[in-house]
Amino acid sequence: MKHLILATTAATLLATSLPAQEVTLGRFFGACEDAGTDTTTSTGEACIIQSIINAADAELDGVSITTLPTDWGNYYDQIKAAYAGGTPPDVHVMHRHRVPEFAGLGAIADISADLEAAGIDSSDWAPAALDAVSFDGGIYGVPMDFHANLWHVNMDLMEAAGLVENGAPVLPTSPEELLEHAQMVKDATGQDYLAADFAQFPIGVRLVLALMWQQDANIFGEDGTATIDTEAGRNAVTAITQLFDAELANPQLNYADSQQAFLNGEAAILVNGTWVVDFYTAEAAKEETGLDSYYVADFPTLFETGATWADSHMWAIPSSLEGEERAAALRVLAFINDHNIDWARTGHMAVRTSVIESDAYTSLPHRDEYAGTASIARDTPPSERYGAIQDVLNRELQAIWLTDKDVQAALSDAELEVQDLLDR
Amino acid sequence: MRGGGGKTLSQGQAAFLLLLPFLSAYALFLVYPFFKGVWISLHDWNLLAVAFNPDAKEYVGLRNYERVMWGREIEWSLMAAPFWQGLGLMGLVLSFAFYRMDRLSLFNAIALGLASALLVFLPGFHPGEGGRWYDRRFWPTVGNTLLFVGLAVPGVTITALILAAMLSGQTRAMSILRTLFFLSQVLSVTVVTLIWQIMFSPRQGLIANITGTFGGTPINWLTDQQFAMAAIVIATVWWSLGIAMILFLAGLQDISRDIYEAAALDNATGVKAFYYITLPNLKRTITLVVILQIILHFQVFGQSHLMTQGGPNDTTQVLVRYIYQTGFRDSELGRASAMAVFLFVIMGAFSAIQFIVGREKQ
Amino acid sequence: MMPRSYYWLVIGLSIPAFLWLIPTLWMVSLSFQPNEILARTTSSTFFGLIPLPFTLDNYAALFSFGQTPYWFLNSLIVSLGMTLAVLFVSTTAGYALARLDFPFKRTITVICLLGLMVPEQAVFIPLYTMFADFGWHNSYHALILPRVAVPIGVFLMLQFFKAIPKDIEEAARIDGVGWLQIFWYVMLPLARPAMMTLAILTFLYAWNDYLWPLVSAQQREYFTITLGLASIQSNFAQSEGLGRVMASGVIASLPVVLLFLIFQRYVVQAMTAGGSKG
Repeated sequence: MKHLILATTAATLLATSLPAQEVTLGRFFGACEDAGTDTTTSTGEACIIQSIINAADAELDGVSITTLPTDWGNYYDQIKAAYAGGTPPDVHVMHRHRVPEFAGLGAIADISADLEAAGIDSSDWAPAALDAVSFDGGIYGVPMDFHANLWHVNMDLMEAAGLVENGAPVLPTSPEELLEHAQMVKDATGQDYLAADFAQFPIGVRLVLALMWQQDANIFGEDGTATIDTEAGRNAVTAITQLFDAELANPQLNYADSQQAFLNGEAAILVNGTWVVDFYTAEAAKEETGLDSYYVADFPTLFETGATWADSHMWAIPSSLEGEERAAALRVLAFINDHNIDWARTGHMAVRTSVIESDAYTSLPHRDEYAGTASIARDTPPSERYGAIQDVLNRELQAIWLTDKDVQAALSDAELEVQDLLDR
Repeated sequence: MRGGGGKTLSQGQAAFLLLLPFLSAYALFLVYPFFKGVWISLHDWNLLAVAFNPDAKEYVGLRNYERVMWGREIEWSLMAAPFWQGLGLMGLVLSFAFYRMDRLSLFNAIALGLASALLVFLPGFHPGEGGRWYDRRFWPTVGNTLLFVGLAVPGVTITALILAAMLSGQTRAMSILRTLFFLSQVLSVTVVTLIWQIMFSPRQGLIANITGTFGGTPINWLTDQQFAMAAIVIATVWWSLGIAMILFLAGLQDISRDIYEAAALDNATGVKAFYYITLPNLKRTITLVVILQIILHFQVFGQSHLMTQGGPNDTTQVLVRYIYQTGFRDSELGRASAMAVFLFVIMGAFSAIQFIVGREKQ
Repeated sequence: MMPRSYYWLVIGLSIPAFLWLIPTLWMVSLSFQPNEILARTTSSTFFGLIPLPFTLDNYAALFSFGQTPYWFLNSLIVSLGMTLAVLFVSTTAGYALARLDFPFKRTITVICLLGLMVPEQAVFIPLYTMFADFGWHNSYHALILPRVAVPIGVFLMLQFFKAIPKDIEEAARIDGVGWLQIFWYVMLPLARPAMMTLAILTFLYAWNDYLWPLVSAQQREYFTITLGLASIQSNFAQSEGLGRVMASGVIASLPVVLLFLIFQRYVVQAMTAGGSKG
């Protein structure tokens, strides 16, 4: 141990005497150019993460961080292109579902041996978080959160429809009840019951996936057989399309539009992730926003088992990084790990047990309202072709609700294509 | 060189020296990549895997082409796409008939006949019983690209032609009007998509705002399958009208004033003059503009990539975007390269036609 | 004196011309409106076409901590660098092919001509792997070089040089002037208008190119403004606000619009020349 302290001190001294080590950092979450360095007051994913990065840049001696602007749509294409071009960022964010692809090729580094020296205590991570960054016996990154699909609720609309009990919204427990509730909201308020991005990002896919998991089904098994064109698949899809057919929800809204509809008070429920809780809380507090009384609920169970789509953001470093550069990159990872509580302010679920159990965490706005989400979090089996599979599902599901493609035909087409991808 | 070595270079030496910079860039950054692209298309080549281990590629012959363009149990019949094939048959008959009636030159008759034959032949392929395309997205993507070209090219050409005919006057007012119509041409594709994404937005868009005040329900331009393609075509026509208009204006300059004056004596002015004088005299320019536009719009990428992300349900997915996705999202450089070679063949054919038409004048 | 119908034509055409301008005007107008207002409505005054309430905050923010100025600078460097490089290789090669005699001249000309048939999209993948092997990505030369190899400039210059009468250089030859001197002192000054045309054509192309920078530049230092704008508009959460995004769009368009308005005659020539030759 003494050895280690000496080594760390030496490294620190060395680092301070040398010109600052340049660390390039790749991330999505959107741009926040005036984030500042105060990690405790920023709001929204983009600004919170940027304030953490800015703080690391200011507080870590001998490390200067350059954030690469990488937009959402092309993020993984660009990261891959950067790896293939031999110029990956020194630190970058990714999803757990990409670990098989990047770790499998040896692109990202196994950092299990570096964690202790960097001051990252992996035993503080919740078991599921450790699992998220583990691959083939190694640890390939520092987990930052669990994020999951939630139901964001406009309590005023629910109240008007008589769907509030003891201060909490009454959510459906079956597809039939879903339709019933939707009709009640429409009758009482004239507004849509449910809004979500069904037309752009795969949020609709995650909705359908959750409903399949709730029937103990999945889109493909661990053995690599696609199982989409099934009873469970059809049930999941029709549970949603019944709302479109009855004109109680609009499938043509994209991400920004569905969010706007909810904030304008034009939808009782918005299905979206944990990442917007603090943003919606702030919006609801504003006078001019249509949404006034905001509540966050766990994804309701419409079938047998509780389930909602979930994933993890994590930070990784390229395997090619060595020496000083690697040490500097690890210090950045440690800094982000230390600020887990700040990141959780977005609405994401923290990964460190010490944070999860802290008062600061449990007293975050709305936190108690979706405490059940952690236990129902699910995702598809690991695959190197996760992105392409999501894309197939997104296309075929959009075909159903945007272009009236026959459900049966769409699901069987999706199954064929996913099978192709799994076989490749 | 004089002054330098005391003697001048020979013509050959000078030419070599002057050609060297271009030819080396040309060989290195165009010729070599072109052949390397063909070579990549013959391999199973994963972007990331090969980057980490250069031996991770595998020679597979023409399998990428098969996987992209062919399928299982593919059959050919005359009834697979009756409309297109019927159109092709009609074209065949007409080109022969018109040639016999001396309404078409031999060259044009052969060109039209060939195009018609392809129209009969190509859409005839379809998966038979129990069969399917290996890549269900490729041909629909080619179809979308053709549809985009088929809408954008006439849209741009006709609008530009009419505007050019009306704006050809040499006055200050006309010159200002030309500038206004031309201005959007110099904007970059990302500015154009930025503007039109917001223009089309059903909540924030100018179009929705205006129709909204008249009580209309906003159209979800970019997410409704009936409007998405129209939306990117509208943005494209708005963007790329200028160059076609300029080419037409240049063509109009070449038509002698005397012809119009002579025609005016016969009471042929305005629309009549446009139809009987302008159009026939602009024939070659029109052909050039059309081919140029076909080449240009076949390479469409930004509009689809940024405005609709290829959606909804792939209705605006276009070839270059599919190549980009296959290469950089799915990491399958071999397949992506096979598609790129396909793109080259089509574009090359149109370039050759453009070259032949361009030469006819000289 | 213009006939009456002429004035009707001008008035009649002013309406579509104005409509044509509206999307651009709207972008400019939105860029001068406060983000808080835009988040709720984009049609405050006359459908948002008049920037009231008015603010300069979006531009101030852009220049105080935005990345837009850097992207702008990159675009300028890449566009000017590409323009100079293309001018250099095109004038030299164009002159040699047009006016000098040397073995295999015809063959070389035809080989260069064939290059016009290869679209950028058909070679961007192999170019990508090649530049990756060289470790060239994320650099200015990576953004510039691929375009230098496109023979269109050579053909524009070739056609121009061909049209110059023979006796000009014959006079110089009799005085014993070398070929390179003739090129430099006689031909280049004559070629100024053609070079201007080519320069504008190349500059516009460089400023607006999207696909190649998208695959080649992944680091902020090498983002061009076109690429930067693409990254802004496809963000998952638009935290910057519509006004800021639109201000970036205006900044991105300013140089090309100014270039166009000042050099309109050359731009038109460039488009005509570039258009009819591919």
